Amino acid sequence: MSTRVEQNRFSRGPRAGGPAGTPPREPGGHRETRAGQRAYPGAFPIGPTISFLRRLRASLDAGSELPQSLAEAAGALPRDLRDALDRMVHRLAGDYAEDEWGFDEEFADSLLPFFEFLYDRWWRVQAIGTRNVPSHGRTLIVANHAGVVPWDATMMSVAMLREHPLPRYARFLVLDWAFTLPWVSVAMRKLGGVVASPYNTLRLLEQDELVAVFPEGAKGAGKGFGQRYRLQRFGRGGFVEIALRTGSPIVPVAVVGSEEIYPKVADASLVARAIGAPYFPITPTFPALGPLGVIPLPSKWRIEFCEPIPTAQFGPEAAEDRSFVFELSERIRETIQSKVYDNLVARGSAFI
Amino acid sequence: MQPRRILITGVGSFLGTELARRLESDPEIEYIAGLDDRPPQARLERTDFIEADIRSPLIGKLIPQARVDMVVHNKIVRRPGPGMSERSAHDINVIGSLQLLAACEKAESLRAIVVRGSAGVYGAEPSAPQFYTEEMARLYPLRSRFQRDVAEIENYFDTFSRRHPRIVCTMLRYQPSVGPSLDSQITRYLALPVVPTYMGFDPRLQFIHELDAIEALVATIKNPVRGPVNVAAPGTIGLTKLVRMAAKPTAPLLPPFFGLAVDTAQRAGIDGLSPDFRRLLRYGRAVDISRLVEEVGYRPRLDTVEAVKDYVRAERGKQLLPTIRDLVAR
Repeated sequence: MSTRVEQNRFSRGPRAGGPAGTPPREPGGHRETRAGQRAYPGAFPIGPTISFLRRLRASLDAGSELPQSLAEAAGALPRDLRDALDRMVHRLAGDYAEDEWGFDEEFADSLLPFFEFLYDRWWRVQAIGTRNVPSHGRTLIVANHAGVVPWDATMMSVAMLREHPLPRYARFLVLDWAFTLPWVSVAMRKLGGVVASPYNTLRLLEQDELVAVFPEGAKGAGKGFGQRYRLQRFGRGGFVEIALRTGSPIVPVAVVGSEEIYPKVADASLVARAIGAPYFPITPTFPALGPLGVIPLPSKWRIEFCEPIPTAQFGPEAAEDRSFVFELSERIRETIQSKVYDNLVARGSAFI
Repeated sequence: MQPRRILITGVGSFLGTELARRLESDPEIEYIAGLDDRPPQARLERTDFIEADIRSPLIGKLIPQARVDMVVHNKIVRRPGPGMSERSAHDINVIGSLQLLAACEKAESLRAIVVRGSAGVYGAEPSAPQFYTEEMARLYPLRSRFQRDVAEIENYFDTFSRRHPRIVCTMLRYQPSVGPSLDSQITRYLALPVVPTYMGFDPRLQFIHELDAIEALVATIKNPVRGPVNVAAPGTIGLTKLVRMAAKPTAPLLPPFFGLAVDTAQRAGIDGLSPDFRRLLRYGRAVDISRLVEEVGYRPRLDTVEAVKDYVRAERGKQLLPTIRDLVAR
């Protein structure tokens, strides 16, 4: 697929050459800026703006119409600004692609610099074993869930785009409540989220996508700070059933660091019930500090992608075998739990 | 099964007339009858036009007389047009279907019934699977009157086909159609001077091009399968993309004010939006079409975005002012 190849632009610097020579990333090491950002680091482009206005005026004085003059004057702008404007105008005209799930790759790309900032600077994420994720074909990523707001899904996606030799976007299963919310629902679907439903998972895997699932669901994301790094029950093992039915390998993922971003000390269950939410977190900063409380704490993260567990050899009939499904589900849960502890030790201090 | 004698209800609608015209060119079909209370929209060569109200018991005499082996039920009102009350739309849908089935019971020669139903039976739900398959019709409570009507109609035909196993009953669940010659809910919505949307919602919608809608019906007539079949173009389109492609100014309204504003506009004489269409604008809906492709054997030629493009291209000819799209093209 051409998109897969195109995504390679996220792997940068020495890694852009090829998957073979990928050195492990040094946290906090020197990193290059992207070509597009190098032109005007942080400053407002005053020079080009003036020459843009000058050209616009000249063109209008020459008797051209406004749209044409704008197009002519745009020649004075630097290339990347012109490209950005062009893309914006095209998007305003409805000229952008969304796949049948509503995933908007251009939109996801445009948010990437922000996510990369969180990944590199804010949470200083260390991703281990991204190569355990198959480069092609149907794959189910199973991870522990924590941190009230599903930033762990986003960081896993960024890790896949940044560290994997053949970057691919992951689709993630989202609690259906999120799809009743304004803006949140749109952002979720444009970033590759789908309603957590077995039908959707099945269809995505049949389309050979990379699907991320958090079997703990809201129980995991909404657990209190005292319960941190203790994995909750893995639903009813539905994800194993679907992996077996589609013969998709399962990649267990342990995420460490997400628990500290919003230390949930209490739950305002009355408020949660009133707004129909699964939980309403109270953290040391939220809601006491209002909107400021939404800023996640800068904990240090480690994400480990474990060895894939193949399921194709069991055949789709194995999905009917309840005890086998539970056993496999429990085995995956234990793998993740022990990897979480390992990484917790490897990480050391939570914030520094 | 190749039908030889066909009766089409609702032949006065655009799709009904076009279907009759399409079937007329087929030499395998000996006889076509068109039933409606309004005349066909174009002159038909060899279609027998039967002027009758589908709600009247009279059709119980007319249909057996026509000695048809297939009935195509195309008289389901998706949205009451100007001068039609919700009440009479409900009557046409439910009572009309009942009368038709009563007439079908008396028609000895009948082998198959094809109903042009609606995917509206699925409703529009935020937590729904992103592609409904045919067996998911009753996952959620029925919310709007139209949805209840369609569910009721489906029930009638389901019961009928169980009671008469020799008659093949196909229930086609159509997603909304778009196209330059069509006057449908979505084209009326896009024709509004300012398009109201729910603030913060950008649902995935799915349509079918008018020509594909007819061809899918023709394919089903040639090869009727039992039970429900989803009919839609492949792919989906976000509402925002849709209105931007149509170059329409939008009025994003907060959910509590949406209904209020649309109702006020309706009272002022501007085209209103039906309750099920409002839910569609908030949560969207898409269906899985593998049964149409694999069992009926028809794959729509245009996907959803292409269908919208075709509609927009035709509409643009009628506009006076250049749009942002024209400026981009320059």
